[in-house]
Amino acid sequence: MAGSGNAHLRPDALVSARDIVVEFPAAGGRTVYAVSGVSLDIMEGETLGLVGESGCGKSTTGRAMLQLPRPTSGSVQLGGQELTDLDDEAMRLIRPRLQMIYQDPISSLNPRRTVRDIVAEPLFIAWDNLARRSAIAVWQERVAALVQGLARRVAKPMRILGFAMSVAFVLWIASETVEERAAESLFGWTEVPAAVIGFPALALSLAVGAVFAVLGVAWILLMLMLPFGLMSRQFGAVPTAVGLVGVVATTTASAFLLWRTWSSFGGWAHWVNSGLLGTITVVLVLWLLASLVRPALAGTSAVATSLSAMVVLQVFYIGGLDDTPKLAVLVASGVVDALLFVWIRRRYHASRQELRARADPRVREVLTYVGINPDDALDRRPWEFSGGQAQRLSIARALVSVPQVIICDEPVSALDVSVQAQILNLLEDLKNLMGLTLVFIAHDLAVVKNVSDRVAVMYLGKLCEVSEPGPLYSQPAHPYTDLLLAAIPHPDPEAPIGDSSKIGGELPSPLSPPSGCRFRTRCPLAAQRCADEEPQMREIAPGRFVSCHTPLVGEPAPPTSMAEFSVGAES
Amino acid sequence: MSDATRPRSGRALLEVSGLRTTFDTPSGPLTAVDGVDLEVRLGSRLGVVGESGSGKSVMSRSIMRLLPKSKVTTSGKVLFDGIDMMSLSRRELLDLWGPQIAMVFQDPLGSLNPVMKIGRQVGEGLRVHRSMSAKAARTAALELLDEVGIPEPQRRIDEYPHQLSGGMRQRIVIAIALACSPRLLIADEPTTALDVTVQAQILDLLETQRAERDMSLMLITHDLGVVAGRTDEIVVMYAGRIVERAPTATLFRDMRMPYTEALMRSIPKITDDSHTRLEIIGGRPPEMTRLGPGCKFAPRCKYAQDLCTAEEPALMPAASSQTNEEATAHLYRCFYPVGSNEAAEALERNIASGRVSETGVVIGAA
Repeated sequence: MAGSGNAHLRPDALVSARDIVVEFPAAGGRTVYAVSGVSLDIMEGETLGLVGESGCGKSTTGRAMLQLPRPTSGSVQLGGQELTDLDDEAMRLIRPRLQMIYQDPISSLNPRRTVRDIVAEPLFIAWDNLARRSAIAVWQERVAALVQGLARRVAKPMRILGFAMSVAFVLWIASETVEERAAESLFGWTEVPAAVIGFPALALSLAVGAVFAVLGVAWILLMLMLPFGLMSRQFGAVPTAVGLVGVVATTTASAFLLWRTWSSFGGWAHWVNSGLLGTITVVLVLWLLASLVRPALAGTSAVATSLSAMVVLQVFYIGGLDDTPKLAVLVASGVVDALLFVWIRRRYHASRQELRARADPRVREVLTYVGINPDDALDRRPWEFSGGQAQRLSIARALVSVPQVIICDEPVSALDVSVQAQILNLLEDLKNLMGLTLVFIAHDLAVVKNVSDRVAVMYLGKLCEVSEPGPLYSQPAHPYTDLLLAAIPHPDPEAPIGDSSKIGGELPSPLSPPSGCRFRTRCPLAAQRCADEEPQMREIAPGRFVSCHTPLVGEPAPPTSMAEFSVGAES
Repeated sequence: MSDATRPRSGRALLEVSGLRTTFDTPSGPLTAVDGVDLEVRLGSRLGVVGESGSGKSVMSRSIMRLLPKSKVTTSGKVLFDGIDMMSLSRRELLDLWGPQIAMVFQDPLGSLNPVMKIGRQVGEGLRVHRSMSAKAARTAALELLDEVGIPEPQRRIDEYPHQLSGGMRQRIVIAIALACSPRLLIADEPTTALDVTVQAQILDLLETQRAERDMSLMLITHDLGVVAGRTDEIVVMYAGRIVERAPTATLFRDMRMPYTEALMRSIPKITDDSHTRLEIIGGRPPEMTRLGPGCKFAPRCKYAQDLCTAEEPALMPAASSQTNEEATAHLYRCFYPVGSNEAAEALERNIASGRVSETGVVIGAA
């Protein structure tokens, strides 16, 4: 029972999962063996019911098929295409075909968004993905992620540094080595010795320095961010050329600034400052390059701090500029950036509305399918709906990208009995209407029987029995299936109440699953062989597969050597 | 109390009449329980069935007087063994909770103290009500843990709730409830958060303990399957009212209330073939702050006529029952009871007028 093997797999399945293993690290270096070698397949248009107690790994199996997260090992194929080795980008292109419905309808819908956007979201993402397929688009996205991460992390060090540097700035002005040019261009002071200015002037220049530092930082950050930052995913519609122009413009401006700064100082400050600046600049450039290759490196706070230091230094050295034409270049590049910003914003808003308009007929159509009046619902938010209606919205969201396969993870467990029937009937209708293939995960055996063409019973990360529902329910072959069925309360006072003494015990911990058959610790039929040897999936009657040494239906498993032989012959 | 609700056989341990609980909500008064009459006889098992929002939990808390004082008005009469619960002071209630009435809640983790060892929690009632010493309470707690089927009680007694599985926790909650040998146990959805296998174990445990201690049981659930084999009498609630009340066997054999029938038919049955079409109840439960006149189930009912939306039917005895006793035992709240000729005619009229589809689904309710 609760064993492995692939005897039950069929050729030409739409979804084929082989030997899925999902393990999670646990505290103390231990491992949770959530799913241990489960193989399942689903034919096109079929509903596979997946039942078991909580903690048996049924949801994890369903999610592993969607690569959420990727299984630790094993293979998942959709229409012959292997999913486990696709990268995130390629997987995103597959996702419209594989959708999911979750247990709790309210918490799986974003309360702040309207039904219109919630239901259309898979379409937006799918279209966006299509638009972003070129290599440059991917590169843009990485830069955007980098700058966004930077902006997030830079805020605090920036404030601290801004303050520290304004103090340094004041001291610098007050010092004998100050360059007249700098003081003059900043404040219009000439030849005023610091000692004469006195404390009030010191405080004033501290304040001015702080304001100047903040403004300057904001300006340079804006210049750095605009062309990159606005290229993020939601701006997929912005042409690559615009992005490139922005990149070139800002890089040129920054390089120019850097050069001016570098060459406009003399004296000992020159060596200290430019040495510092040079080091920081080199680090920054290396980091930028590295982040483009490995996006995970973007936004590391140490580097962000260095960058903010550099930006602040740059701000001070702008004061060193005296050539009007060069200042004009700086202003011009700023104007270009600002224009770019405005243009992209307008472009963005137009495109979001355009997307909504494009999605509108599809959204209305699916809402009608799930029995919700689109005119009433489109501009409402999920919390305005009851549980059953919210589950209908979840279903609509899953349907909108015209999926082939929907994985329903306990879709009716949180609903009242009367609403549960509505949702079950709806799923059945939609399946027939759209030719869907469903994986239906639930702990309620009666519900699973109602919707399924094939039922798989799971126990502690392993499969027990795979069969058509009729025989499985009337004559369970696996002792665990028998136990589950015995535990169901029947809405009939005359029905005998199952003997719960038969059930005994609870699910063992997935941290240290039992040897051999995992069910043996609760199995009334357990023998020595069950502890020594893991049963393999085998066919005990046409279309009925069980992994048990001594099933309740059919012959006991042949001795080990024979078992190995027969498995080898089948596969 | 009307004739129909008078106790039949056995002494009533708990008698509730005209219980009405109103919450003061921002959108107006919400009467969650409206005129509930019921009784639990000594040693009997009463099942209370209803969907979420039907008022079954509020009812049990009103009986226990567990609801907060502010913004809640409770009226009606609750007699527990002749004592008027409504007039008891807080102090007197504390003496009642535990040795007389105990409660088991749905969420076992939420009803256990996470920072207190299990043994202390189980023995607490004994120390308070029986003035036991800590040592004696511990010994008694060990026995109780053993009785509710906790393996290795010696070890478990010094553990904390988070170290146990859901089923084990619910056993602990039951042990706490049983500690002072209450005469009435109110179990409010005791198995809803549990797996089907664990559910069966817990229900069996409740039953064996009830029989051993000659306790009365009020089992509140949304699952007709849970109450079917394990109660003597069932009360079906809808919109804060009792809509049908009958001995368990009678209810399942001869249900009168269309809501009970619809609820039964909407449950997928394990004996049905796969892809059997489920009969649905269109629409959803009414807004409790905006109840209209008439039968509260009428908008979703396939038999409903004009009369149903105009006037609310009273609880009436099932006239066609063979014996007088059965008649007073079986009450329902409907003008067109299931199985009557009137109902068949009403359904035909509704189908003819297009209000109900050929398959018996109310059109426009969904």
